[in-house]
Parts: sequence; structure tokens; C-alpha cells
Amino acid sequence: MSLIAAVSGVHDSGGYRRPPNLVAWLVLMPLLAWLFLFVIVPTVMLVVVSFAERDALGRIVYDFTLQNYIRAFDWLWLKVFLTSIWYALLTTLICMFVGYPVAYTIGRAPLHWRGLLLMLVMVPFWTSFLIRTYAWITILSKDGLLNSLLVSAGIFSHSAEILYTPFAIVLGLVYNFLPFMILPIYTSVEKLDNALIEAAYDLGAGPVRAFSQVIIPLTRPGIAAGAMLVFVPSIAMFAITTLMGGGTNPTIGEVIFKQFTSGRNQPFGAALGTILLLIFVLALWITRKYREED
Amino acid sequence: MKKTITLVLSALAAILVGCGKAPEAKKLSVFCWSEYIPQSVIDQFTKETGIQVSVENYASNEEMLAKLTAGGGEYDIIQPSEYVVEALIAQKLLHPIDKTKIPNLSNIAPQFLKMSFDPDNSFSVPFMAGTVGIVVNTDLIKDDIKSFSDVFKPDNKGKIVVLDDAREITAWALLSQGLAINDMSDANLDKVKPVLANWIPLVKVFDSDSPKTALLNGDVAMGVVWGGEGAILLQSDPKFRWIIPAEGTHLFIDSLAMPKTAKNVENAEAFMNFILRPDVSKKISDAFPYTNPNLAARKLLSEEQLNNKASFPSDADIAKMQVFRDIGTQGSKIDEIVTSVKAQ
Repeated sequence: MSLIAAVSGVHDSGGYRRPPNLVAWLVLMPLLAWLFLFVIVPTVMLVVVSFAERDALGRIVYDFTLQNYIRAFDWLWLKVFLTSIWYALLTTLICMFVGYPVAYTIGRAPLHWRGLLLMLVMVPFWTSFLIRTYAWITILSKDGLLNSLLVSAGIFSHSAEILYTPFAIVLGLVYNFLPFMILPIYTSVEKLDNALIEAAYDLGAGPVRAFSQVIIPLTRPGIAAGAMLVFVPSIAMFAITTLMGGGTNPTIGEVIFKQFTSGRNQPFGAALGTILLLIFVLALWITRKYREED
Repeated sequence: MKKTITLVLSALAAILVGCGKAPEAKKLSVFCWSEYIPQSVIDQFTKETGIQVSVENYASNEEMLAKLTAGGGEYDIIQPSEYVVEALIAQKLLHPIDKTKIPNLSNIAPQFLKMSFDPDNSFSVPFMAGTVGIVVNTDLIKDDIKSFSDVFKPDNKGKIVVLDDAREITAWALLSQGLAINDMSDANLDKVKPVLANWIPLVKVFDSDSPKTALLNGDVAMGVVWGGEGAILLQSDPKFRWIIPAEGTHLFIDSLAMPKTAKNVENAEAFMNFILRPDVSKKISDAFPYTNPNLAARKLLSEEQLNNKASFPSDADIAKMQVFRDIGTQGSKIDEIVTSVKAQ
């Protein structure tokens, strides 16, 4: 939960600031070391490799070149980026519309219910992500559980094509990332001051107005954090798009994965990865800006 | 200072003596394809020799190459396909094999020995071979499918699974145009690009890891898949039929080899000889029904296994198949062509 708070910046409003002392630095050391080793070093490596070349075996040759970036700005790869951004946006929006009511209900539920309801949101995480994705294949395939059920109940006359369609991709993404939307919104809803909502009603606002002009703005940090936590990983997710989408419509995660494996072109993959990173930074910057305006 | 000199001298001595002469630790590090060497075979090797085996898996030749050339792991045995053996030999990245340590090499059928990628098997011994062919669900498809051109017809749109491998798909397109499978010149790629533009939109699923799944689940009615996957489908249900494409197809040979950096060369050679033993090779065939190049092991297989056309194509069919050669950086171009057609 603290990670979500850190990303959303829910707790950073107000408070006093002073330079951290030695003890604080010592406490922070493991985190700083972790950030350095697993965030800074890999990022620098990625950027360095993106300006390198490769030989016939796929080994990296450290000769400076801009070729990878020139190639990356071809319409083909931009189209792949756009496809991925489109899937990620769609996923984020659906998660928002599905996740908000759930988070709101949990956040406003009696205190002794909240723990149990939150637990229900988390339970799927106890199973490996790949196993859950394969379970969807079993459910959605042509001779699968859902189709057999619908056909034997007489709702469909013959099996529908669900698996290996864009619909299946978005379903898989929404299913996997929904909790990342619910949890930060829940933290915002939980802190919501009931008095403010009552005040809105007392001042003549109807339910719609109270919701859109009081509740939504108050829970905006949670929505923004949830949107980031869903949008960012779903752009690069390639396991779901290949397993549930059949790999017919390449996404950027899949393309980068292939550059590092069968394409034998790590520098080009690194260039695409760096561009993806810049998109994330941009997305983060936009949400920050948006929040500061409040 | 004295200490440094002693250290340098002892290091030199170690190099002069050579690692082969010092007694090797009872260890072996194997870097192999996933779903290719059954765990029971590894366990049996440890039981018989006392050598502890650590196994790491990869899903593509290039993944293996990337890890090997990055110097990440220390591997004694790798399992490259023919065109990768060729590239690794050219880059002097393989350790020569002492063939006197591998008497079981005589079990291998002559047609799988002394192949173009390693003309006297100085660096590799054949593990399994296999092919790529067409599998058809005859419950759903009544047409007589004979060739790649029969598969990739507009009528079959949305009914096809193929390997998610740009080089394979391009190779089939080359074959359909009567071109050589390894001639990936720009001129040839220009010729097959329109073919790929027609074919790829017809495909429902791209899957190299388990293309049989989409066929078994009924999501597609036909596929172009690995022989081993085809053999499992044929075993599971008689409705599946196996067809060797009339245009010819790709024959792959996966070998066992030692990287130059191998630490436990003698153990690795013992492992190669063990794998080529008829009873062991039979176990591998039982689990993963590819084309077993081991004649002595084939004698132990059942009639049913030997008659599985996806595992064992006829010699006449094999004669029509072609082996991949290394195409170097041209791989990126193929990848780009296939991706561009997919992204249409």
C-alpha cells in the first residue's frame, strides 16, 4: 500500500520539510541501493545499448550509431506503439469504470467488512499470472467452458469466437490489472470526509452533482494513481497479447521481446525500450501536472 | 611481490597443465531447450555417474546465443540447431569433441552425420531431428490439403495456426515460389513479400511453444507446426492428419555441443555418449516424439511410434527437405517484413 501511496503522492501534500539526517540516510540506504542497482543501472545500460550496433551472432558491438532510432521512427513501429497505447488506454478506461464502483463500495462498507472485501480483490494474486492466463484460454476457447455452457443452454446455436480476438486481449488486460485500479481508489475513498458529502446535499446538490463535483475531485489522486498503475504495465505486457490474442496484432512489448530473442537485435530492442520509457515519463509528467493544478 | 609472482606462476602452471588434466568436479551444467530432455533421463545420468547436473532452459536458439555470448552462465552442454552450430563454429565458440569418448556416435543414422554445418562432427553430435509439416483436423476440413498453397487460401481465413517464427514463415513462402530456403537475398525477400502479405492475414494464431493447443481446443482447423507437436496430435486423435508439404519443407537437426568456455569437458562428453545410448534415446522419443536419428534406439520403439508419419517421415520425404543455414543479420529484415504485414 505504501508503494501505491508513493506513486500516487497521496501523502506528500503538506507536511514540513527538512534535510534528512544521518539516521534517515541509513534507513533509506537499502532503498537507495535497490533503486541504483535495479533501476538506474539497467536504465543506463538500456540507453547505452540503444546507441550500439550488433554483429551477425547478435552480440553487441559498441560503435556509436543513431541507426536504431532512425529505424524506430518508421511508420511501421509507430503503428505498433499506437496499437499498444490504444489497448492500454482502453484497458485503463474500462478498469476505471469497473473499478471505481467496486472501490467506492469497499471504501464505504462497514469497517469490519472492508478487510474481507479487499482480500477478495487480492486473492487472485495468490495464483501465478501465467496460470490464470492459461485458465482464460481453457474458458474462452471454441470448445471451452464458456462456449459449451452457452451452446448447451441454447443461448448460442454454435460456438462463438472469443479467444484470439482483440476482445480477448482487452479482457485479459482488464482482468489482470483491475486490482491496481481498485486499491489506490479505495485508499482515496476511505479517507473521504462524509461531512463534505453531507454539506453538498445540504447546499442543494443532487446525487449526480455531489458525485461529479465533490466525490470525484476528492478521490482524484486515487484515480490518477490507479490510471498510472494500469496504463504503464499494460502498454508493455506481451504475454497476454500473444497468449490470448494469438499474436496476430503485434504490440510493442512483443516486438521488443522478439528483438532480444529471435530478432538477434538487442540494440534496436533497446532503442524501442528507451522510447517506451520516454512515453512513461511523459505520462507520469502529465498526471503530475494535472494533479498540481488542483 | 613474492606473493604476486607465486600467484602468477601458479596461474600459468594451471594454464599449462590444462583444465582437462586436472580431475573434474562431479558437475555438469546443461543449457537446453525446454520440453526436450526428460527429467528422468537427467536423473538416471546422475544416478549412474554421480555427476550432479544443473539444467537451464531456453525457448529459442537466439535466446541461447544471447545468454551464451553475453557470458552470463557457465555451460558445459548446449543444444543448438544446425544453423547455429554453423555460426558458432565460424565464430570459434565451440569446444572440439574427442570422438573416442563417444563410441555411441555409431548408433546415429549416416544421413544425420557429417552434415554441411559440421562436416566431420568435430563439434556436435545429433540429438533429435524433426521437420515442419501441415496438420489438418479432418472433422472440420474436407478439402484435400497437399501443400502450403492449399493451406494459405482465402477460404481458410481464421482457421490456421502457424509457428510464431518469422524465418519459418518466410522459408515456406520461399518454397511456395520454388526458391531455395536459405536464399534470403533482398531480391528474394522482395519476391516473397506479397506472398506473406496474402498469407499472414489468414492466420488466426501464431504460437511456437505449443501450437497443438489451438488445434486440440478446436479454435483452428489446420496448422503448420513442428513434427513433434504433430506426432502428439496424431497420437491423441485419429481425426488429425499429417501432410508433408508438396513444395518441400524444413528439416531441423538439434545437436549437443560444448561451448568453448565449458569447464567440465569430460563430463560433457560422458553426457553426450549417455544420451546416444539406445535405451536412453528411446526414453527421449517416448516423451518427445521427434525424428530420432539413433538407429539402435529406433529398434526399441513400438510399431505405432515408428509408423507416426509426423515423427518419422519417409527417406524419400527427407530427401526433399532442406536444412537452414545461418543468415546472419538478414534475420532482422525478415522479422521486419513479417511484423509489418502483421501490423497492417
